[in-house]
Amino acid sequence: MPIRNVVYRQREAGQVLTDLSDYRRAGGYEALRTALTEMDRDETVYAFVRSGLRGRGGAGFPMGRKASFIPKDSVLPAYVVCNADESEPGTFKDRELMETNPFQLLEGITLAGYAIGAVRGYIYIRGEYEHQARILDAAIAQARTAGFLGQGVAGSGFDFDITLYRGAGAYICGEETALLESLEGKRGQPRLKPPFPAVAGLYASPTLINNVETLSALPAIIEHGADWYASMGTEKSTGTKLFSISGHVMKPGNYEIVLHDTTLRELVYDIAGGFRPGREFAAAWVGGSSVNVLGPESLDTPLDYESMAEAGSSLGSAGCIVMDDSGSIVRATLRLAQFYRHESCGKCTPCREGTLWLERILQRIVDGEGRMEDLELIESLAGRMVGRVLCALADTGVLPVTSAVRRFRDDFVHAIENGGVPRPEPMMEVPVGG
Amino acid sequence: MNAAAISAHIEPIRHEYAEGRSLILPALKYAQTEKGHLTREDIEAVAEATGFSAAYVESVASFYDRLYLQPTGQRVVSVCVTLSCMLRGSDELMERICDRAGVSHHGGTSEDGMITVQEAQCLGYCDHAPAVQVDAEQTRGPLTLDDADALVDELRTSPRPDELWR
Amino acid sequence: MADYAPVDLTAEGQVEFELNGRRVSAPAGTMLVDAAYALGVEVPIFCYEPRLGAPIGACRMCLVEIEGMRGLQTACSTPVQPDMVVRTNSDIAKDGQDGVLEFLLENHPLDCPVCDKGGECPLQDRTFRFGPGRTRFVEAKRHFPKPLDLSSVIALDRERCISCYRCVRFSQDVAEDKALVMQERGAAAEIATLTGDQYEGRFTGNVIDICPVGALTSIPYRFTARPWDVTNTPSICGHDATGTNVELTLREGHVARVTARPEPNYAVEEGWLSDLSRFAYEGNRAPDRLTAPLIRDDGRVKEASLDDAVDAAALVLGRGGRVGILVGPTATVEEGFLAQELARTALGGARIQRLGIPGAGLDAIRSQPRAELGDIDGAGLVVIVGGDPPNQQSIVELRVRKARRRGAAVITVGPRPHALEPVGTAVRSEPGRLAAAIAALDLPEAASTIVLWDEADLAAEPDAAGALARIVGDRGASQIELGADVNGAGLRALGLGAGDVLEAAAAGEIDTLLTIHADPLDGPGAADWGWALGRVRARIAIAAYASAVTDASTVVIPAATHYETDGVYVSMTGRAQRLRPGATAPAGAAPGWELLIALAHRLGAPPPYRSAARAFAAAAAARPALAGLDYDVIGVLGAPVAAVTPVSPNGVNGPREAAGTGLPLVTTTRIFGNAAAHRSEALASVRTGAELVLNPAEGERLGIADGARARLRSPHGECILAVRLAADHPAGAAFATTGVPGAGVERLLPADRGPVNVEIEAP
Ligand SMILES: Cc1cc2nc3c(=O)[nH]c(=O)nc-3n(C[C@H](O)[C@H](O)[C@H](O)COP(=O)(O)O)c2cc1C
Ligand code: SF4
Ligand code: SF4
Ligand code: SF4
Ligand code: FES
Ligand code: FES
Repeated sequence: MPIRNVVYRQREAGQVLTDLSDYRRAGGYEALRTALTEMDRDETVYAFVRSGLRGRGGAGFPMGRKASFIPKDSVLPAYVVCNADESEPGTFKDRELMETNPFQLLEGITLAGYAIGAVRGYIYIRGEYEHQARILDAAIAQARTAGFLGQGVAGSGFDFDITLYRGAGAYICGEETALLESLEGKRGQPRLKPPFPAVAGLYASPTLINNVETLSALPAIIEHGADWYASMGTEKSTGTKLFSISGHVMKPGNYEIVLHDTTLRELVYDIAGGFRPGREFAAAWVGGSSVNVLGPESLDTPLDYESMAEAGSSLGSAGCIVMDDSGSIVRATLRLAQFYRHESCGKCTPCREGTLWLERILQRIVDGEGRMEDLELIESLAGRMVGRVLCALADTGVLPVTSAVRRFRDDFVHAIENGGVPRPEPMMEVPVGG
Repeated sequence: MNAAAISAHIEPIRHEYAEGRSLILPALKYAQTEKGHLTREDIEAVAEATGFSAAYVESVASFYDRLYLQPTGQRVVSVCVTLSCMLRGSDELMERICDRAGVSHHGGTSEDGMITVQEAQCLGYCDHAPAVQVDAEQTRGPLTLDDADALVDELRTSPRPDELWR
Repeated sequence: MADYAPVDLTAEGQVEFELNGRRVSAPAGTMLVDAAYALGVEVPIFCYEPRLGAPIGACRMCLVEIEGMRGLQTACSTPVQPDMVVRTNSDIAKDGQDGVLEFLLENHPLDCPVCDKGGECPLQDRTFRFGPGRTRFVEAKRHFPKPLDLSSVIALDRERCISCYRCVRFSQDVAEDKALVMQERGAAAEIATLTGDQYEGRFTGNVIDICPVGALTSIPYRFTARPWDVTNTPSICGHDATGTNVELTLREGHVARVTARPEPNYAVEEGWLSDLSRFAYEGNRAPDRLTAPLIRDDGRVKEASLDDAVDAAALVLGRGGRVGILVGPTATVEEGFLAQELARTALGGARIQRLGIPGAGLDAIRSQPRAELGDIDGAGLVVIVGGDPPNQQSIVELRVRKARRRGAAVITVGPRPHALEPVGTAVRSEPGRLAAAIAALDLPEAASTIVLWDEADLAAEPDAAGALARIVGDRGASQIELGADVNGAGLRALGLGAGDVLEAAAAGEIDTLLTIHADPLDGPGAADWGWALGRVRARIAIAAYASAVTDASTVVIPAATHYETDGVYVSMTGRAQRLRPGATAPAGAAPGWELLIALAHRLGAPPPYRSAARAFAAAAAARPALAGLDYDVIGVLGAPVAAVTPVSPNGVNGPREAAGTGLPLVTTTRIFGNAAAHRSEALASVRTGAELVLNPAEGERLGIADGARARLRSPHGECILAVRLAADHPAGAAFATTGVPGAGVERLLPADRGPVNVEIEAP
């Protein structure tokens, strides 16, 4: 259960490492030096593979495997792209990493760049994170001045630089191919896959795309060794993970925990402080909002990829939104349906029209104009979206809706039979801890 | 903003991108810092500076929530209404801010042109829920209803920043 | 709509797979939708349109089940794989397709009876054939007040748009005019131009053809007809020399619409039309159309019946004087041949010529291996010499852009700026010095090279034609002539020269002149012709439109236009193709071939045939260039005429020097500047006039300001034009627009369009 601030090193000291010298004093850039001087590219990729590190952006794809897909014989330059679009509801871990430890991310990107032989890294940061973008701008400038970026990184023969790219407000740009489109100056609409970015990504070049948290873990893996990292957690869920927890809990915030060591109950009650007096757990969207919602019966699920899947949900981005029994699952579901409707890029028919339709039905139910057949209609429409759309926005975006209708069917029936859902008493004016 | 000013902003970073199209978004964002929204002249200036058609540039701009093709107030207040904030009272907060700014509960621009209020999706500050953002520069939360009044009053009287990053 | 790409099921490299339980095969790389269609299985589609480039997989209409793959796959973006097991009609695949239709119809008005697309709408079709009966959507549909005018010819009904991106991709990736876009996102996304702008360009109307629903419709055609009271006829565009294949929609005897054919001619236009091809048809009923025969007698004009007019013409022609016959550039092969036959038999000894470019010296380049427009796509190097294809042979532009997108190098050489220059490397030649520029070309290596050359520019510089022919020959390249005249190649195939009558008339050796679709007073050398024709005593005109010539003719016999007659045009690439009568000619007019046969009868030399088909067969039998052709052989897609007999490229040396003093005149053309565009109301908002364009330095030197007017004078004639100063035009030349009705730039030119210099002064 213990919180282990081992990977994201500033957390231990509670420091803010926005100054390069502080970062260096805390051991920063030693991993990069080690890799550049003692490891060749393949060894570096292999270390990532052995660490078992899985992508922290949501899909959980093994990071090292993805790096190994980058073709070595391409005539085009390779790139690393850091996905800092963090827009998944309930997820704010990347924000904190960038705010408090920007160099760890830069070092991680540089390590990844070295491993795949990239010429440049891009950080695509959501437009709303202007504050964090300025911190990164300053960090990049410091790193360049100190020779950690640019020609001959840290005195080696490796040339590499990092460009920060600001988004402008679109959740879909977190989807990796939409991100690439946006970074290429287009409307952020997902591409057909294949080809996958590893083969033809940014400017049709081989491109490794990883999340901020994924890349920020790389220095620790090189510094302490892949085995050390893999020794934490389970075989398929190695290492530590940052959990963003928010909603009705008393101590919302980011917590780094070793995968599998902690249950949902421990996260909610012991780490995040539980609920207001008299309130109880009602529901949780553990992996951000694009997941199946879980009820109290799942509280004892260990927090790791396999266990969450077994419990019928997924770890996702580990942006855990928790609702107590004062909330309305029907309203919450409508709110998420509104989110996906608002964020659908509109490229493919089932998502563009389906997210709108689902929102309309849920709105009617909330407004007291629901019909019993609407619950079947929701199932049927969602069934006509999943597996038939162009990207995962709609594939996973219907999950909180269908799972809520299944798991909390009584609440929906109650709303339909009793004239909708009144606005519940909000949790306001409570201190935020953490 | 004119094309020369936009060029002065993007030319130094052109070498960082294999294709000049990538400069459209930085150019749009920078062009918007002048008025807080993008007029037809701004779109045309970005088109000129980047070498893409104005229609294309406008279509890119229209995709993104934080690029404004309609006039906005001097400051834009984005009230997060996504789940974590909703659970902590964002709907009440939105209404209160709208009331104080004198706009409808769906948002809009105040009559004096000082403040635009809009709903926003998760700002990534759920640990500070309910959270609001002023332009893209400051994020505040958790906000009480009294804080909401104070925020609107503060924005009404504080001077406009030189550059509006939204 | 082309919809599915053609598939060669007999090609090498077939992949075997299973389709709906059948073992089938298709060439590797073929998209599943296309393979299935070729194998008789139609998978419904909306966004897929192979001519727009790689599939985008947006509409999801083409969902099919593929064993071993999660969910359903889009057949439009999945290439066939060995042993894949595909089901397009299983319950799950059908549910996928029904689901997409249900989502599409969620916000769709589905009021087909009042929709302009009703009866020919793929969405309506598919709703009927594949779709669910009722909607489960009980909420209010998305509603937009009323259709917007995207331009003066295209209406946009946003309610009906299914966001298939076809129109956007056409604008961005095919025409590359970059003007049509998607704005906003998600369910709020809509088709738009830059706010406040119209969608204008050379090819805009194509989006009407490719829109799979009634969202983009033709304003001139709107509400004029329903699909059940029209008939469609395949024909050829008669407004440029490309031989663009079109389909004429006819209603109550009139052309109500021109569209691409449902099955495009991939060797020619690939289903894309210029807006001139598409919208010029309105000129078919323009006020200057001749509808009643006229006979002038002692200065009095009287209307006559067709019979009487032909009699009168026969009378005048038969009087025994020396006859000259002029065949205009829009005359069909049949008309040209029948005119030749008249000159050979009934009017034995008559002189005959076509109006057009003599082109002595061009056979050196013409006899090099020919390519089709369709070959441009696959070229590694495209060289464009002279001319201004976007304005003159417009669809060539789309082919060149496509070649460039596919990686071809493009090099342009010529004296005038044009829209294809920015597509590649542009070499600006000095006026009258193309040969030097050609000789100095440094062409990159390429697996295949296609050289496009402008007939008028090279005709004016025979040494350039020779130089170019040598390059083509040395590289094993092929060539495409950028022809100036609609049926110039057809009339040349008949052996019609372009000089005889003018010389004879100027020498006073012509007493009676018969013009067939010919108006020498409005074309190059107008001034010289005017003088020569002054010496002719009687004139007979067979023409569709009033002109200075018909105004001064003793007998005027109205002729059918190319929309109204059978006939053959030979395109600039040497492709013989059939005109089919769409509209009926006005009561007082008849097809030229009929009139000429009637005339021959009246003159006592009746030909042994009474149909256009037989007239063409006779021409083919008599002219080696047409050997082996008849209407059946030409068929729907056309057939090549014989190649030009090889001529050595080493004949001519040294440039032809321009007559007169002053600045060299470089003629320009505007797609919407010619008579056809000026006649069509649909093109009213885009039509352009004539102007003199000068480099600002020349303007300063001559003391002429932007917007002022100037008088141009050559040894042949003079005219007055508005002046535009433009820095993208080089100094050292005067650029003046030809083809504009009434502007008179042609008066500056000799009849063979040879080089001239002009003096410019304030009027
Ligand atoms: C709609 C959508 C939004 C996404 N948003 C993000 C995001 O904000 N940040 C992120 O890292 N990944 C996001 N992803 C996942 C990315 O597509 C991609 O899987 C990830 O960046 C890969 O990095 P990782 O392997 O390190 O997780 C999103 C995916 C989808 C479908
Ligand atoms: S699923 Fe939604 S977000 Fe993804 S491509 Fe389709 S419309 Fe866009
Ligand atoms: S677009 Fe097609 S389906 Fe829609 S109303 Fe018109 S005809 Fe009917
Ligand atoms: S207007 Fe027509 S072609 Fe264009 S996106 Fe809409 S449906 Fe497709
Ligand atoms: S839900 Fe409001 S900031 Fe995340
Ligand atoms: S036709 Fe295949 S996705 Fe549109």
